Amino acid sequence: MKLRVLVLGLALSALAVPVFAHHSWTAEYDAKKPIKISGVVSKVEWTNPHTHFYIDVTDASGKVTTWNFEMASTPALERGGWSRKTLPVGTQVTVEGFAGRSVAERAIVTAFRGPDGKEFFVPKLGN
Amino acid sequence: MRRIVVAAIAVLGLVASLPVGARAQELPRRLGGENGPKKATDAKRPAPVLADGTVDLSGVWTGGGDAPIPRLLGKDKLEALMMPWAKQKMASVKEADDPYFYCMPGGPLRITGGFAWRLVQPAGERSKYIFMLQEGNAHSFRQIFMDGRKHPDDPNPTWYGHSVGHWEGKTLVVDTVGLNDKFWLDSAGTPHTEKLHLIERYTRTDYNTLQRVVTIDDPGTFTKPFDVTYTAKLGEPDSEIIEYFCIENNQWGERSNPNATAAAIPVAK
Repeated sequence: MKLRVLVLGLALSALAVPVFAHHSWTAEYDAKKPIKISGVVSKVEWTNPHTHFYIDVTDASGKVTTWNFEMASTPALERGGWSRKTLPVGTQVTVEGFAGRSVAERAIVTAFRGPDGKEFFVPKLGN
Repeated sequence: MRRIVVAAIAVLGLVASLPVGARAQELPRRLGGENGPKKATDAKRPAPVLADGTVDLSGVWTGGGDAPIPRLLGKDKLEALMMPWAKQKMASVKEADDPYFYCMPGGPLRITGGFAWRLVQPAGERSKYIFMLQEGNAHSFRQIFMDGRKHPDDPNPTWYGHSVGHWEGKTLVVDTVGLNDKFWLDSAGTPHTEKLHLIERYTRTDYNTLQRVVTIDDPGTFTKPFDVTYTAKLGEPDSEIIEYFCIENNQWGERSNPNATAAAIPVAK
């Protein structure tokens, strides 16, 4: 079984390109500001050059902040097994990533976990 | 190329590290689902040959045009070839100004870099054209005339120019003129003028590898022609290019602009 996973990994890597083939992610996101938030998916933009997942985060006082998370292109995600329905609106998620340089809540994803802690494939960031 | 290799290793590592059960339903359809992946191509196999005797370069490839020229050639060597205006211009470019990030076509070198691309090479009677179809960015294509025609005398400059090709043994030679100066040759911002003339030599050195040697001849920018060499790798046999239009929801610049407000970000409806 382990061998099968390795073979699948090799096959997938044959078409692997940087997640941000379109541009360098560090121009817009701060590698020194890692973030981790939990919230509810409020909108999915299954678009290019990159997908965007909007996550509503409610603080202790009940105030809701919408985060705009940028992720890989649709081809990169499709090759990783995603569809636009993988994390639908209303899903409770935990997201890790890096804050935006100008507005922290415009952030980038490095890890996605569903309500049961299940991890979803997120392509690695390039350089 | 280095970025692709790094990403490939990273993806491999990530995929291999996930538990099998958690990933089962997330596997890409193209890998064959429960039937498992198609057999990997064998690099030791020679390049395939078409019925008319020409080498078959068709397939889905990655890479082959995205490496910055200063890295390929050496920064000092490139600068020594550049005219003063070009040196000055290159020293002042900012990554954020790359037309490619605003979804403009990447020009004939970058169309084969970064994203998957397909080479279409009809055989026999239809071998009047070869096409290069780019998955990413402007989702555009190059058209190479294989019917022996010449370049027009004074073509109107375009993003991909006017390309004519012929075979020299197992090597496809593509000659391109009529290029505009609106794109960057590479991500480093290597400049060029409308005098740019490219001679590309494509050789499928083994089943999985396409070597591309490009002679860059631009008497408006460089003191003499020089060569750069790129390498493209073949995707799995059932690989396909996937639709991707950069212009759809490009938020580039909004995050690095301190004056941008959330309301100003253009979003797809």
